[in-house]
Formats: sequence, C-alpha cells, structure tokens
Amino acid sequence: MTTDKTLSPQALRQRDQYRWSALGFIAPGVLVVAVLLYLPLLWTTFLSLTEYNGLGDPEWIGIANYVEMFDDPGFIGSVLNTLLWVGGTLLVPVGIGLGVALLTWNLKGGTWLRLPFLIPYALSGIGVGVIWSFILSGGGALDQALAAFGVDDTPRWLVDAPLNTVVMILATAWQGVGVNALLFTIGLQSIPREPLEAARMDGANGMRLFRSILWPMLRPLTAVVVGLSIVASLKTFDIVQGMTKGGPGRDSETLALTMYKETFVNSDYGLGSAIAVFLTVVTLIASILYLRQQLSSKHGV
Amino acid sequence: MSRVIRTAVLAVLGLFWLLPVYLLLVNAAKSPEAFTTKESWLPTDFSLFGNIAEAMRLSGLAESAASTLLYAVVSPAIAVLVGAAAGFAIVALRLKHGFAWFVAIFGGTVFPLQMILLPLFDAYSRTGLFDTQAGMIAVYTAISIPFSAFVMRNFFSGIAHNVFEAAVIDGASTWRIFARVYLPMASSALVAIFILQATFIWNDFLLGLVLSQSDTVRPIVTSLAGMQSTYGGAQMSTVLAGGLLVSLPTVVLFLFTQKFFARGLALGQY
Repeated sequence: MTTDKTLSPQALRQRDQYRWSALGFIAPGVLVVAVLLYLPLLWTTFLSLTEYNGLGDPEWIGIANYVEMFDDPGFIGSVLNTLLWVGGTLLVPVGIGLGVALLTWNLKGGTWLRLPFLIPYALSGIGVGVIWSFILSGGGALDQALAAFGVDDTPRWLVDAPLNTVVMILATAWQGVGVNALLFTIGLQSIPREPLEAARMDGANGMRLFRSILWPMLRPLTAVVVGLSIVASLKTFDIVQGMTKGGPGRDSETLALTMYKETFVNSDYGLGSAIAVFLTVVTLIASILYLRQQLSSKHGV
Repeated sequence: MSRVIRTAVLAVLGLFWLLPVYLLLVNAAKSPEAFTTKESWLPTDFSLFGNIAEAMRLSGLAESAASTLLYAVVSPAIAVLVGAAAGFAIVALRLKHGFAWFVAIFGGTVFPLQMILLPLFDAYSRTGLFDTQAGMIAVYTAISIPFSAFVMRNFFSGIAHNVFEAAVIDGASTWRIFARVYLPMASSALVAIFILQATFIWNDFLLGLVLSQSDTVRPIVTSLAGMQSTYGGAQMSTVLAGGLLVSLPTVVLFLFTQKFFARGLALGQY
C-alpha cells in the first residue's frame, strides 16, 4: 500500500488539486452504500435490542432477544444445521472441484470434460431446488432408479432429519463443483513450468508431485475458495426454502431461514434482528479468513 | 494416472452430473396428462413448448421475466459506472484516505443480506417503494456497487499513473479523462463485472421475496418459487418447464462467457 510518505511532493500537490473532483467521483458509491446498506444495518442492530412488531414504536429491552434466542432449542438446531452446511459444502463441492481440476489439468479435451460440471453453476438456488425436489420426492426418479437395482426400502429423502440437510448439501454440491473446478484450474495454470519440470525430472509423480509442488502453490487460492465457500454456506437460504421450507417442523432450518421466519412469518422483529446480528458476527469472523488474502498488500492503493 | 483413465473417469462422472439435466428436460416435456410420478426416466411425448406457455400464464412468469430483465440490465450498468468512478477517485485522483473510503464501500458486501432485509422492508413500505420497479433497481444497484468498486480499484491499480499525467498535459478535465481514457481501457473488466452481477440479480430470490409481491414487479426466481409451492403437486411438468425457462438465460450466458466469468472471479479474488 502506498501511504502519504511514498508520494513525491509533486504528487501531493497534484492530489490537493484534485481533492474536490476525487470526492465527487467517490460520492455516488459512498452515498448509495451508506443509505441502502449501512443505515439498514445499524437499524437492524438497534432493533435487535428492542421489542417490535412493526406497529407502534420499538421498545428497548436490552439483550432479552439474545437470551431468548439461545434458550430456543429450534435456534440451536438451526445453528447445528448451519454448521453441517459449512462442513458439508467444504468437503463435497470444494473437494470434488479440486479433484476435477487435477484430473483435467494438462489433459487434451479438458475444457470439454469440465463442461458438464459447469452447466448447473449459473442456476438459481430455487432452480436447483425445483429439479432436486422432483428427483428426491417419494417414489420419484431416485427411488425408481434404486428400485431398478433392487433397493426398495429407501428413506424419505426430504423428510427424515438430518438426512434432508445432507441431500440438500449434495444438491448444492451438484451446482458448486464446476466453479470450484474452474477456480482451481486457473490456479493450476498459473503455476510456473520450471519447478514442475524439475520435480518430474527427479521422478516425482502422482501424490508426491501433488503434495510437494502443487498443494503448496495452490494454498493461497485454496484459502480464498475455502473462505468463499464458508461464507456462502453460512448464508444458505434459497435452496432450503425452495426444497423443505426448513421443515418438517424446524428440522432443516438454517440460521438465514430462522431469521426470515421469525421476522416475516412471526413478525417478531426484535428476535429476527438478533438472529441477523448473530449470523453477521459469525460471517464476519469467517470472512477474515479470505479478506486477509483479498486485501493483501500487493493490491494496496 | 494415464490420460485414458483420467478421461474415462471424467467422462463417467460428467455423464452422472448431467442426469438431473436429462430428467429435467424429459419431464418438462411431458404433457400434464402423460406425466406420472412413477415413470420419470423414460420420455413419453414432447409438449415442452405448451408447458412453457402454460408456465408463463400461471403465476405471471411472463411479466416477471420482463421486469427481471430490466433489473438485471439497469442495476449492474449503474453499478459498474459508480464502482469505476470510485476506483478512479482512489487510484487515479489519489483521493486522500483512499483506502479507508475503499474499505467503507467494500464493507457493504461482507455481511449477509439478512442484516438489511427488515429495515428495507419497513422503509420501503413507508416511502411507497415497496413493490415498485424503482425500489428493486435501487436495492440491486446498491448490493452490486461494493464488488464493482473492488474490482475496478484493482484494475485501475494496474494502469501506470503516467497515463493520467499525459492526459492532464493534453488539457483534459478529470471527467473527460475518466470517460474517454480510463473507462475504455477497462472495458473488459466492466463487461466481466456486468455479467457476474446480471447473473446474480437474475438468480436473486430473497430480496424479491421480501420487497415485492405483484406479478409485474416480482423477480422471476421468486415467481418460480411461488409457482412451485402452488402447482408443484398437480402440475409438476409445468413447474419443471417453468424452472427450465427461468434457468436457461443465465446458463446460456454463462456457458458463452466463461472467460469473462473466470476473469471476473479472478479479478475479484486477487
């Protein structure tokens, strides 16, 4: 990052000359973000400390919403489901994505072989949910396929918990493998040739090549992919709302879904806001993992 | 591993990956009379276009499509320009405390949408912006700006400051330098951000769910979700056809602009 100290006196003069102009150029972005993102954020934080249902005025009740939140077994279940989402989406889509990237690396026709994995990527969460709800419905496409192999006693995929969360994670993996493979492929292609050639000359192959050369060189990228995956999975909403609506009961709720239900179904604005704040704090902590990478010094101003 | 084995493993896994797409296509093409929940794997007839037409009639998917196209074009277009202006102020004009301003804008993207939903709903209801196209465009623009500013700042950092100084010597105003020198140089990055954000907006469900309700304003994915819960039991093949219709634009856009996508993702992450 270039600080004031590294700018020449001439550059500093020039900067003063453009001060108002620069403020004019940055103002639209700052204003829009301040009004539509930061003000609501502050208001949600305030509401989390009040009792409010949209009528009348918010009434200050301190941390009572947070106490109620942690006392609620439904909320704890929701936290556990969200953790399952975080772990599951790290293990399956990121893992298979890395596998596909390694398999297609330097392979003739690799671009075409990656294509099937990329097709689902641009689908909406609801679109994925529509397809997979259909496949997983009782007696649906999956059960028919299993019956053809003689498996008749299948579980109720979207009803039995925690199986329903697991199959929704797999549906998300179906969508997410492609983009992870694409990112890892970009990473693999940026590895310089010389150390690879040298390692090959020394007879390194397969696992050894991966462990000693590829993995260390992919590590910065992996940190980003892992960070993105964690943050995205913490916010999981669309696919669960589309496939189970958090049910049966509250069995497959995630934090994002619990927040939505408390706020917009039960009109308990204070409690809903408290859950939003909790989710935000967790997300921020997870974000640090990849923000450190994103805001690293080499791209400073 | 030998190339043959690698190719074979990928081909088998790839075919497996395409099975849900096959099931979607086959069953979305079945007429409501031919469709049964017991025989999902075999095609029966081809009524895909009839089903799509029916899906567009039900749940107002056609009106949603028009509005969503508007959101997915206008909001990212504004956001890339606003983001580019912010990047220009920080990098080329060397705005004082530029990094702090940058963090302030970028910070708008790190927290979950849940944090702004309720106040937006409340404020939109009070100001008459609830269930309006203007309201949807405003919120989609706002959530697109941080990423856009982030990428554009990174991009402009790669341009030598001499370019700016040369333009100043030629007597150009800052606005002119921005519009005539910096924006054209950044066209590939601008397109990359635009495509990523347009896809994101087209696929949005949550903001549409909270901030709109009528068929003409509601975004298409939110309409699809409504259609799934209303008609999912009785007219499954129509719902699947609707899902196909909603998904096709972003899938096609993505497959044809993979390079831009990869570039946008790479610009955003390094």
